Amino acid sequence: FLRQQSAAPNLRKLVYGTVPGDEEEDGEDEEELGGLFRVSRPEKSKRQRADALDCSRYAPDSAHDWDQEEMLDSIRNCFVTGKWEGDTDA
Amino acid sequence: NNNMANQGLTYDGCNFFRQRLVLSTLSGKRVKIRNIRSKDDNPGLRDFEASFIRLMDKITNGTRIEINQTGTVLFYQPGLLYGGTVEHECNPQRSIGYYLEALLMLAPFMKTPLRATLKGVTNDQKDPSVDTLKATAIPLMKKFGLDGEGLELKVVKRGMPPGGGGEVLFSCPVRKTIRPVQLTDPGKIKRIRGTAYSVRVSPQMANRIVDSARSILNKFIPDIYIYTDHMKGANSGKSPGFGLTLVAETTSGTFLSAELVSNPQGQGDPVLPEDLGRNCAKLLLEEVYRGGCVDSTNQSLLLLYMTLGQQDVSKALLGPLSPYTIEFLRHIRDFFQIMFKMETQKQEEDSQKGGDKVLMTCVGAGFTNISKTLK
Repeated sequence: FLRQQSAAPNLRKLVYGTVPGDEEEDGEDEEELGGLFRVSRPEKSKRQRADALDCSRYAPDSAHDWDQEEMLDSIRNCFVTGKWEGDTDA
Repeated sequence: NNNMANQGLTYDGCNFFRQRLVLSTLSGKRVKIRNIRSKDDNPGLRDFEASFIRLMDKITNGTRIEINQTGTVLFYQPGLLYGGTVEHECNPQRSIGYYLEALLMLAPFMKTPLRATLKGVTNDQKDPSVDTLKATAIPLMKKFGLDGEGLELKVVKRGMPPGGGGEVLFSCPVRKTIRPVQLTDPGKIKRIRGTAYSVRVSPQMANRIVDSARSILNKFIPDIYIYTDHMKGANSGKSPGFGLTLVAETTSGTFLSAELVSNPQGQGDPVLPEDLGRNCAKLLLEEVYRGGCVDSTNQSLLLLYMTLGQQDVSKALLGPLSPYTIEFLRHIRDFFQIMFKMETQKQEEDSQKGGDKVLMTCVGAGFTNISKTLK
């Protein structure tokens, strides 16, 4: 999911669906087969989500292995013990 | 505003149940939820949702609730947010955190200050625990000008699933308006605090959790203190269990949290306290990597307060938005016609400050608490 978010060119579009002045894609959502049957697959995944567990917890990204030294290094400067920027003093 | 209240909103499915009822209550807009588990073998509302509806009914006056026979359709017409002293038996299918998250959102906007006694499960594996909300949501509320003696969250008794038996006291002052915030600097983590708790198991469990969590976190910072909390007798609920809540506090007063709870008795494999401590420490590191001025659990609470603030600009820097938060933003648009401006802030490769962040900006709805009694 994290990757999905960083890959999205426009976060606003990901959240609100459409951006003002960018609505031409709307019409393509309802794909019809032979003019009679609608594709029902997207509907199904939506239904599953609609009945999913109502919970605010955010599952961690399994791609991050916190046993790896590089992962530990990636957050080192979030702590007071890390490096400080030039203009801020401890 | 009366005109707006007349139009209702319709949703499908039981997900995001609480946000819909909370936003409906705050905005005064009616809401209808259809197809609640309609394809399920056991359709309709669950006991915990019914319990949640009863709680909403207790804190409001004149709320109209209609549910069809199978429980698959709910119609909710919000009344006045009254508040006052309430006591509620929270269904143990979900922990008190599930109910409390909604109360945190509603409490500042009530007619009389809320003083709620909630009974049930204090810590479980699904919802944010009472300990986490106490350590993160309460300081967040203070940033919006909600403080003083009236703001309190206290664990009186601890209760683990499946039996529960815990008790929590939450009181919150009311405000006419809440102030806008500028939370753009998350600061640097200066200390880590935590609570390792155990009930109806050896008190030694908590000590074992503390040692293993420290072994990982000590690589970053020396200032770590994890309290051990072993409640006994009548204060220890009905089921055994143990767990850990960790909170990282930064120089600018940001609180990031992580937690883990042992498997409930008779469900799943027993968990070693050492593993629990280590894994919880790693979850905290994950939360630090995401970063931002609130942790992922409190994103929606922060965004709601920003939405309902005075008509002024509020800004907040967040880590990646959680799926729950994204849905919450859509609901805020539905109920309050407010959309946030979102700017991604890329982190430089070698900055060693975790992942990308997003800056959220909005102008508050200028929500005023008209029901608050004037003194």
